[in-house]
Amino acid sequence: MNSNRKIIRVLIVVSALFLALLTYLLYFNMFEAESVATNPYNRRQWDDEKYVTRGTIYDQDGIVLAETVEDGVSIKREYPYGRLYSHVIGYCSRVYGKSLLEREFDSELLGKGDIGIFQGDKKKGFDLNLTIKNSLQKYAYEQLRGKRGAIVALEPKTGKILAMVSLPDFEPQAESLEKNWNSIVEDESAPLVARAFSGLYPPGSTYKIVTAAVAFENGLSGQVFEDTGGFLKGELKVENFGNKKYGEISLERGFEVSSNQVFCTVGYELGSEKLLEISERFGVNKDINFDIDASNSRIEYKKMTDEDSALVAIGQGQLLVTPIHMAMICASVANNGNMMTPYVVDSVTKNETVIQKARPKIFAQPISAECADYLKELMVNVVKNGTGSRAAIYGIDVAGKTGTAENESEKDHAWFVGFAPADEPEIAVAVVLENSGTSGGDSAAPIAGNIMRKYLEK
Amino acid sequence: MKRANYRLPAYLLVLMNVLGFLLVFMANDYQLNVLYVGLGMMCLFLLIYSILVLCRMGDKYLVLIASMLMTIGVLMLCRLNIVTGARQIVWIGIGGIVFFATYTIYYNIRFWHRMWFLYVALGIALFVITLVFGKTVNGSRNWIDIGPIAFQPSEIIKILYVMFLSCHYSKSWEKPFLRVNPMYMTGIVTYVYILFLMLQRDWGTILVVFSIFIFMIYIYEETKWFLWANIAAAVIVALIGYKFLYHIQVRVGVWLDPWADVSNKGYQIAQSLFAIASGGYFGKGLGNGSPDYIPEVHTDFIFSAICEEMGVFGGAAVIILFFLLFYRCFKVTLNTENQYNKAVGAGLTLMFALQTFIIIGGVTKFIPLTGITLPFVSYGGTSIVVSFASLGIIQAISAIEDRKGAEALEQ
Repeated sequence: MNSNRKIIRVLIVVSALFLALLTYLLYFNMFEAESVATNPYNRRQWDDEKYVTRGTIYDQDGIVLAETVEDGVSIKREYPYGRLYSHVIGYCSRVYGKSLLEREFDSELLGKGDIGIFQGDKKKGFDLNLTIKNSLQKYAYEQLRGKRGAIVALEPKTGKILAMVSLPDFEPQAESLEKNWNSIVEDESAPLVARAFSGLYPPGSTYKIVTAAVAFENGLSGQVFEDTGGFLKGELKVENFGNKKYGEISLERGFEVSSNQVFCTVGYELGSEKLLEISERFGVNKDINFDIDASNSRIEYKKMTDEDSALVAIGQGQLLVTPIHMAMICASVANNGNMMTPYVVDSVTKNETVIQKARPKIFAQPISAECADYLKELMVNVVKNGTGSRAAIYGIDVAGKTGTAENESEKDHAWFVGFAPADEPEIAVAVVLENSGTSGGDSAAPIAGNIMRKYLEK
Repeated sequence: MKRANYRLPAYLLVLMNVLGFLLVFMANDYQLNVLYVGLGMMCLFLLIYSILVLCRMGDKYLVLIASMLMTIGVLMLCRLNIVTGARQIVWIGIGGIVFFATYTIYYNIRFWHRMWFLYVALGIALFVITLVFGKTVNGSRNWIDIGPIAFQPSEIIKILYVMFLSCHYSKSWEKPFLRVNPMYMTGIVTYVYILFLMLQRDWGTILVVFSIFIFMIYIYEETKWFLWANIAAAVIVALIGYKFLYHIQVRVGVWLDPWADVSNKGYQIAQSLFAIASGGYFGKGLGNGSPDYIPEVHTDFIFSAICEEMGVFGGAAVIILFFLLFYRCFKVTLNTENQYNKAVGAGLTLMFALQTFIIIGGVTKFIPLTGITLPFVSYGGTSIVVSFASLGIIQAISAIEDRKGAEALEQ
């Protein structure tokens, strides 16, 4: 029976079609469903808000930073400080979706999992209490106003974010956002990028902290170098900042004046393997587990040579870091070699009852306490009698490191990372001024100094 | 012990009904109507099934599987809108009557294979009526009103088309018609139908009809080139259609990237994908989702609603149920000795299978979306009644085989 044989073949084809359908359905659910379900056009995401009033967001002193105001049928998400928190809290628009904290803590703000009895006709979502100090945030914002760049201030012992500013920014209130969306998206200065944790910059000389750490571990402390004004190796030629020649100079003095020749030599002699290893210990190429999805700092070489290592040693080459990560590196020196996971949401509460509470966590222990002490001394000297003098605060020991990072454009990025007071650190700061064309010591150091002073004044 | 074989699935069906309707009852603010609807449907299924078993009407699983599919469909419809659900049950009742009527007629008449001309004439007459009196629903002009009820003639034409093809493939019709060889006649009739369907802009049915044609040629036609010629023709027509017909361009474009124009052209498919994606593996639970955001949710897009509330596993269960149904139908077809019945069985089975694949594939964005109904699950009088009629024919084919077996045994 010829036709039966062919009917069986057709049956096999039909079975294959159905199997493909089943596989596709499962594939879709495994790999595509999440991004589809969170598409801003999916109205289901807003269903909950008919029954739940979105939670309020407070700073560490209970100042309201975001709240939902309901007036009859209209439900509005209000941000009393406008742009100030656009790169921390984000936006919440029915047209363009949600971003940053509004997105990451969406289910908390909507009180998901709340099994309590609800009074009245509408439930209230959970509230977020941030680690940010509103007064410091405002002050930091003023310091950066009119410039492009980022400031991250955190508590070295805990990883609590005290202030986090990224500029340029945008007006997060939904109505205005929707009206200006096109001009915001098309703006070449990318106001939607939260530079503090999504921006990737070459760290320049601030990265010499990491290089100094590996030098210390390899017994190079106290070594004297011959500084002729620049590092030369084959094709590679790196000059000192301002074309200065330091002659005979120790590693420590090289750190204070930020000699490129000294640190390129260290990077070259120790080699790519050691540089890569210390970088990864400090969290490069790793996810920092921040509350908000952040970019990973990275070293991008297919195969890193010792020449590349000379460049990475001074924070150039294919090395890119986020400002928040630079603040973490600096804070790990302040915190005896313990790098804390940064966090911005301190607790989730419902009517002042704590539902979730963040606990400080050690993210990594890149260096020993001795090494941290050594680096701390170097950094104190940078501010005392080196490139970072403009970050000094009267009566308080400040530790820091400046950086002036070359990049694709003509104008350098100015960097400063530091902490204070040096012996009992309470605040660590990273400042980057994007394409400012000035040196870190001249422009970034005073801003960082001001912020630390402001915080320590209390 | 042998009898338990087919009783177990019947118990499962009852269990599914009881649990499902209790859920919908709770989700619908404890409206008693829901329970009446559920009870009505369960009685209907049990009645149909009892008649089937007591009168020894052939295969016992076909109706059980179809009933399970209808249960899922009606549960979903009741959850969406209790009135639609109740209406669907009326249609299922009518479908049941049509099922037994088709069964009896098909079982007792023995000259189906000689009437090819009648099938074509009826088919074309239906097409002409649709074109003249038809009304346009969702861009397809494929509905006609008779008094208070509307129906889709193209659904009936599909069955007639299969019966027409089978006349030739069972070798009961070998005389040329107006000097045209029957093989060419099947081609001509197919393309004329497709032309009519294009005028109605019923792309889904075109896809079903043409795929049936290709598979049937593959199974029966000994002339190899005819198969290849038709496949080539399909490719050429598809390419020309894509180049010149805005409709088809839009559909393919939306299939490739539904997100480019979500609020407009991609709206339907995007809403469908949102529903499926929001459901996850186990769904939001009956009554907890928002399937009412999907356009055409009770007809073409009912599968997406099932995925949202019963989960991807629920959707997979529906696909597997359909697969079991085709498997049974194929089995009936394979066991049939009568060549005409075999061809009809193969054609109708393919019709079910392809229609299911095209619409489920469409709403999940596996293939471009063309609107057709999901047999037994979607809401719709024509769809339910015609699906029942097709099932009645397959049931009759299986019973005819049993009858032969019994007669042989007596002799």
